[in-house]
Amino acid sequence: MSGSTPAAIVTEGLGRDYGSVRALDALDLDVPAGALVGLLGPNGAGKTTAMLLLATLLRPTRGNARILGHHVVGARGSVRRALGLVFQETSVDGLLTVEENLRFAARLAGLGGGRMRDAVAGAIERAGLGPRSGQPARQLSGGWRRLLDIARATLHRPDVLILDEPTVGLDPEHRELIWTILATERRERRVTILFSTHYLAEAEPADRVVLLSRGRVVADDAPAALRAGVGAEVAEIEGPGAERLVRALRGLGAVATVLRTERGYRVGISREREAVMELSLAAAGIERLQLRPASLEDVYFARTRGAGA
Amino acid sequence: MTAWNAIVGIVARDLARTTRQTSRLLGGVVRPFMWLLLVGTGYNAIARVEGGLPYHAFVFPGIVVMAALFGAMLTAIATVYDREFGMLRLMLASPAGVPAVLTGRAIAAALVGLVQGGIVLACAPLMVPVTPGELGAAVGALALAAASSALLGLLVAARLRSVENFAGVINVVLFPLLFVSGALYPTAGMPPVLRLLATVNPVTYQVDLVRHALGQAGEFTVGKDLIVLLCTMASAFGLTALLFDPEQRFLGGTSQRTPEAPEAAAGAGPAPG
Repeated sequence: MSGSTPAAIVTEGLGRDYGSVRALDALDLDVPAGALVGLLGPNGAGKTTAMLLLATLLRPTRGNARILGHHVVGARGSVRRALGLVFQETSVDGLLTVEENLRFAARLAGLGGGRMRDAVAGAIERAGLGPRSGQPARQLSGGWRRLLDIARATLHRPDVLILDEPTVGLDPEHRELIWTILATERRERRVTILFSTHYLAEAEPADRVVLLSRGRVVADDAPAALRAGVGAEVAEIEGPGAERLVRALRGLGAVATVLRTERGYRVGISREREAVMELSLAAAGIERLQLRPASLEDVYFARTRGAGA
Repeated sequence: MTAWNAIVGIVARDLARTTRQTSRLLGGVVRPFMWLLLVGTGYNAIARVEGGLPYHAFVFPGIVVMAALFGAMLTAIATVYDREFGMLRLMLASPAGVPAVLTGRAIAAALVGLVQGGIVLACAPLMVPVTPGELGAAVGALALAAASSALLGLLVAARLRSVENFAGVINVVLFPLLFVSGALYPTAGMPPVLRLLATVNPVTYQVDLVRHALGQAGEFTVGKDLIVLLCTMASAFGLTALLFDPEQRFLGGTSQRTPEAPEAAAGAGPAPG
């Protein structure tokens, strides 16, 4: 936290148990205003729990959290006013039209009269829902329903957006539309966005990625730094001779991480690229060898499955 | 202003939804008239109520309350659909808070009950001797009956986790409330156990109040009816507010949730974690 402007999201040892099961162990975040932060991890890792804690819909078992300086337990009303939420499943009333859904959401956010009408009109325009505004929401495709969700979450112009898998199940066109809207919100209003996703490429532009596994933070850094931790490049090696080659690469001292996959190995290469290529091309029993830049997917597998250096 | 706008939004939404569910709306209006026709006419031939009142005149206040009870309670219990489809979570996450959400839902459900009961009540001059003043008093009594039914419906909905239980609730909650209330037969003739149940049944006092308003002899005083119904409403609202809190923190709900369903613990239906 710096100066007079509080950080957008701060959590200190934030955790939550369900009975004897620890769903979220201890999450520490310090997210400055305007940042884009990706929360990644397998199903059941604690992402949704973390988001619901920040959204004031769950109470922490331990630790605490603040949104724009407001405590999520002691100042729920202030936190809720500052937040725009998109849940994992769409929150759309199929019996209402698109516009009625947004009017309902605007009123829930405390808007009325002219402010409500302006907010709804703005949200419809930003999400490109104009031609569909009078249509019953049940007639919308999954993509447009999700855009309606995004329009709903942003219509009261919140400073912080918490988005739980906002693009899950959508085609690339609608995913692109959603990320364009969110990018505009960040650019024009410096909105802070915390999102979860299983499409790891969506987290590449994030300022920071927090990777959860079984309720614990297993990685927390900028995407580039996380990728560098895996290795500058990753060699995908398949075939009966793969294990022998990996041993040889280890002997070369060029290996940052090794991950066993269903079909072979993913080896993070930290240096000696030319030597690695020479050794790999000369190796027997290799059916597939591909050297490519490291990705967040490599980080994901290395950190959630465990990797040996 | 935040709470007020939220209440207006919830009422507007619920009423819009109700008017678009035409079969449910039609059923709510037709049901009491079918009871009047089938039960009222049939029993009129064989039953005489103490005081010489024809059965159809005796049963009329009960049928008015029945229309309001079903309309208000079913609209309120439909909250379980909102829980299932994520809309309840949206409301609970709003700055307005649980009391505003409950107030909005209760007003909407009560209005539906009032309209459905009011349609039956409008036929009062055809069924019972009634003055305009009595009719006006009956509208007031009906409003109280609808409001208390709505809050009871919300209390039921607070404990329902899935729409599959919806039909069961009608059989297990609504019909017993109606049958053990003096709506269809005087509580005086009931066996002691049923009579005791009728005494603790809020619908008994709804029927009694409407009966008083329509100029018929009631079992309790108007004052007692009013006190019981107002106390029922206050306690139902308070208890429902605790139960609707996403964490149900006063009732030990937090520790019972599984990690596979954090969203269920947060006021939504089943969802992956």
